Amino acid sequence: MSLRRQGTTLFAAMLAFVGAAVVLQLWLLTLSVEALLGGNYETLIPAAAGSTMLLAINAGLLRYVFRFDRDAHGE
Amino acid sequence: MSPEIEEEGCAGCKPTPKWRQDFPIEWEGDHYVSRREMVKFLTLGSLLLAMANWVVALASKVLHRGSHAEQYIGTISSLDQTGSMLFRYPPNEDPCIALRTPEGKLVAYSQVCTHLSCAVVYDRAENGLFCPCHHGLFNLQGQPVAGPPIRPLPRVQLEQRGDKLFAIGLEA
Repeated sequence: MSLRRQGTTLFAAMLAFVGAAVVLQLWLLTLSVEALLGGNYETLIPAAAGSTMLLAINAGLLRYVFRFDRDAHGE
Repeated sequence: MSPEIEEEGCAGCKPTPKWRQDFPIEWEGDHYVSRREMVKFLTLGSLLLAMANWVVALASKVLHRGSHAEQYIGTISSLDQTGSMLFRYPPNEDPCIALRTPEGKLVAYSQVCTHLSCAVVYDRAENGLFCPCHHGLFNLQGQPVAGPPIRPLPRVQLEQRGDKLFAIGLEA
């Protein structure tokens, strides 16, 4: 399998994972706003921390994409 | 590699068509680029969502800080005359209602219905707080017992000093 075809498959899987993470973040934001309006302040910081963790995972995957591109161009 | 994108000038090669010169990306390569761009776009969206979550969390700190301010709301004698008393807590924000239960206990709740924010009123006949907009009813512990509301009313903590009544905090 060529490196480009490997990359296509890899990015499809990565895209699905990042998409799922963004949907989770959207859900967390919805919950946070509802909790804020309802006066339940205890859940807001953990929700923000969870969202940041998902961002870190997404940023890590994006970094991997850049590294993959760099390696592919250097091949 | 397709023969169409072989280098020009080789013997026996077909000349590169015009459309290939304008769009030199192969079908597979086109997918490769768009997925990569999509990952970048989603990561940017992820950053914005995380920032929005922190804005919400920090906004709660600002709102929560004000809710513990102490405030004089009236005298117990005036409350006993009317049966209930309206006030705003935290100052100049949400309307609240203080009342004396049939058991003689003083309680106070936010007057904002947790369904669609109409103002609840004390209903002696039902022995609860009634929302006239959609016929929601809360008992005197603030719990919803009838109608569309599903969340309890925020409770205002009261402190009695002689005949004076003070609001000292807000429980979610």
